[in-house]
Amino acid sequence: MKSPQNVSPPRRADRLLEWVVAPHLLEEVQGDLHERYGRDVKQLGSPAANSRYWLNVFRFVRPFALKRQKSDHSSSYLFRSIMLSNYVKIAFRNLVRNKSYSTINIVGLSIGLAAAMLILLYTKDEVSYDRFHANNPVIYRITSRQTTPAGAVEYRQPYTGFLPGPKFKAGVPEIKAFVRYRGDQKDMKRGTEVKSQEVFMADSSFFSVFTFPLLEGNPKTALQNPRSVVISGEMAEKSFGTTHALGKTLFFRDDQTFEPYTVTGVAEKCPQNSSIKFEVLMPLIVKAEEMANNENWFSVFMNTFVVLTPNARIGVVEGKMNRVYVADAQESIKLMAKKFGITGKTDYALQPITDMHLSKELPASNGLVDESNPTFSYILSGIALFILLIACINFVNLTVARSLKRAKEIGVRKVVGGARTQLIIQFLGESFILCFAAFMFAFVLLELALPMFNQLANKALALSYLFDTRLIVGYFTLFVVTSLLAGFYPALVLSGYSPVQTLYSRFNLTGKNYLQKSLVVMQFSLASFLIIASLTIYAQFDYLTSTDLGYDDKNIVIVNKSSLKRSEVKVLKEELMKNPAIVEVAPKNGGGWGTMAKVNGDTQLNFAYETIDETYLPTFNIPLLKGRNFSAAFPSDSSQSVLVNESFAKKAGWKNPVGQVVNFWFDNDRKYTVIGLVKDYHFESLNQEIKPQLFTMKDANQYGKAFIKIRPTTETASLRHIEKTFRKLFPISPYTYQFLDKENLKRYESEEKWKQMMLFGAILTIFISCIGLFGLATLSAERRTKEIGIRKVLGASVRGIVQLLSTDFLKLVSLSFIVAFPAAWYAMSEWLKNYPYRIGISAWMFLATAFIALSIAFLTVSWQSLRAAMINPVKSLKTE
Amino acid sequence: MKRTYLGEFEEIVLLTVAVLNEGAYGVAITDELERQTGRSVSISAVHAALHRLAEKGMLSSQMGEATAERGGRRKRLFTVTALGSRALHDIRAVRNQLWESISPQALPAISL
Repeated sequence: MKSPQNVSPPRRADRLLEWVVAPHLLEEVQGDLHERYGRDVKQLGSPAANSRYWLNVFRFVRPFALKRQKSDHSSSYLFRSIMLSNYVKIAFRNLVRNKSYSTINIVGLSIGLAAAMLILLYTKDEVSYDRFHANNPVIYRITSRQTTPAGAVEYRQPYTGFLPGPKFKAGVPEIKAFVRYRGDQKDMKRGTEVKSQEVFMADSSFFSVFTFPLLEGNPKTALQNPRSVVISGEMAEKSFGTTHALGKTLFFRDDQTFEPYTVTGVAEKCPQNSSIKFEVLMPLIVKAEEMANNENWFSVFMNTFVVLTPNARIGVVEGKMNRVYVADAQESIKLMAKKFGITGKTDYALQPITDMHLSKELPASNGLVDESNPTFSYILSGIALFILLIACINFVNLTVARSLKRAKEIGVRKVVGGARTQLIIQFLGESFILCFAAFMFAFVLLELALPMFNQLANKALALSYLFDTRLIVGYFTLFVVTSLLAGFYPALVLSGYSPVQTLYSRFNLTGKNYLQKSLVVMQFSLASFLIIASLTIYAQFDYLTSTDLGYDDKNIVIVNKSSLKRSEVKVLKEELMKNPAIVEVAPKNGGGWGTMAKVNGDTQLNFAYETIDETYLPTFNIPLLKGRNFSAAFPSDSSQSVLVNESFAKKAGWKNPVGQVVNFWFDNDRKYTVIGLVKDYHFESLNQEIKPQLFTMKDANQYGKAFIKIRPTTETASLRHIEKTFRKLFPISPYTYQFLDKENLKRYESEEKWKQMMLFGAILTIFISCIGLFGLATLSAERRTKEIGIRKVLGASVRGIVQLLSTDFLKLVSLSFIVAFPAAWYAMSEWLKNYPYRIGISAWMFLATAFIALSIAFLTVSWQSLRAAMINPVKSLKTE
Repeated sequence: MKRTYLGEFEEIVLLTVAVLNEGAYGVAITDELERQTGRSVSISAVHAALHRLAEKGMLSSQMGEATAERGGRRKRLFTVTALGSRALHDIRAVRNQLWESISPQALPAISL
């Protein structure tokens, strides 16, 4: 006879059978199958019998076996109204009775929910950019791709020039319309006041391609007349005191004189989720010779959009576009190759307008606004998830830990016939009620936090944004998921308690409670991670803003004046220097110029191209390492000499730069001699490496601004003097000024945002983690009241008891560092790689984090521990 | 009276229950079926048919004794009810009537 082990059928198959077949049929079915199995084993041997058994089990997956018999006892009672009202009543009593517990849960959850809602709102806004145009999804932006002769992509270019729009429209039948769009600054006169105003120029098809409703005016003809202008309602209000501005006149400067422009349209405010935001819109006027000039294929500076026919295939359209380009630009491609040695190939491509906003490679800039980095969304979502997760962990931990108190209730419910499903529903219901309260509270928090968040994230979000079906569905999902996430595990655990044990009053949480411990570890890991992140970001920010830039940016006023002539500089300087508060005036070209030249014979070098005069370097205290500065004593400096910085010399491979020759070969082979080596200074922000830089005094280059060095603490007087002088000398130029050191600070706005975002995240996570810890400490102190009483009677000191109660938690917090530190170290070193000039990650950040986390945790726990330790043992031992 | 429809397989199962008389339960019925008809029948198919017949009221059942080879589980023993018996008789009567109406020449001869 075989041993019984051998004749029993496969366990898993049996388990499957038990799961599949309805309970009332199971006995006979399983009996029959076992009987048959016994026979099979005897006849065929056990492997064959096993597979037959499996087969037989699978054959029972059919309706008659699956269908459960209606039971008299379970489901029908689940939703009796009397039980439901009982659940609600018990839930409320519990919430009210355990005030601290309820507060911790509700506050924690609502902060988590508010954070998650905020991020939902934010991401919704981010992805909704430019989706409001009626012509979507067939609006595209023309972009181009530069490839090397070997076929590798050099870079992508989201901008275009004058030619692609009209030429492609003419040559590609699928392109229905095009519009070129660019931004500019124009001086606007209002009364006697001259102001520099940002204006945008577009083709007359603008309003048929995009959806920007006009309050007044005809969208079809608004941009047809060259002297017409469309303004926003706000602008109309500002200029004329009314939005009924149709037919009124605004003055803008063209070259030297102010010309009248007639208002042909008043537009509604551009939606907040639009990459195109204009206050003043003018017709784009392109001269016929510009259109005829084939070289303009290579001049790239604005955005061109096209509307395709509905069924056009992108690949096909792009192919046609490139054929048009190659045919039309043939000559100038050859010319460029000859002139500048451009060997790369240009391919035109289309980018959906809705992809622009979050595109890193092809960003929405150059007249388009609000360009955004998707990483920002990811980081934000990550932080929000962290916070929500931590809040849910609190809920789970507290509910399970507190369940001991409710063990009796559970026992009694079970004894009088409560089924497990009923208990699960009860506890889940409680978590839903709690979540609902938290949810409502979260809305209040959201409303309060929105203004601050808007400022941080550079947005104009509003709660009214919420009334959107998809967002409401999103929030509802969030609510349900949170409730389930927080409530499911406790419900499962609590409902599993055995009534015998709970009523016998010797019930205790079994095991070491690893789940609770690991959840606490997880919470503090997340919190420590964020603390380290914010410390690092703070340190890096501090480094960026306080590092010596290599020049003195204090007490320097920048005044802009386009096409500032040499003679004007001279007069300006003379007039300004009459006031003793003014130390020096140094002119420089406006904006950042870059160009290239040949060195060492035939090596091409790209560099920043600065037009200055001899006052520039002394004004900023920039040292010369070798050679001499420009000087009035050498009149030939402006036509023959240049200065270069260290990076330039290094790139060119010069040991001794003075006397070397820089050849501007495309500019009639003009050659300049290097007369001095300038010490490297951070002329761009510290986010960028110092690039090669070349200084010239070339007469043909115009200045665009003047740096005016003033004596310290004379700001008011100096500014007044500068303004007066400027207005006297240049009455028709707009006057604006900036302080250089403040402008330099503005370069780190994005770091500033990161800093604040991380700080908020860290504070919130640590706060929620701590209130969770506080709750746990409270419960554990309560549970051990008697133990503490006995210890005290036997002579334990308060210190000893506090230690006893705190060490467990502190151990967990310390454990969390093991997880958090390596992760934080990795993430932060990755982040720092973005900066060519950066701090090293030092041990003190980790030590500080450990100190912060431990001391906050200790403070949280010790308060409860102290209270428990101070209780008179008579009281604690007398209870019950 | 409304005639209860019986499928071919159901009819055979019902007949087999009648054949087995006292000892009609899942495995026994399956074995008997295989022996008598020579076709291979799965236990689940038999169970499904038994279940349907019981629902139609043609079979009644009670739990029998447990055996060791069944892992201590009881058998469900089926017996044909009056309704079931009636249905079988009806079917038989119809068949007989049809056979008697066939003229001997109408069927091609086959050698058994």
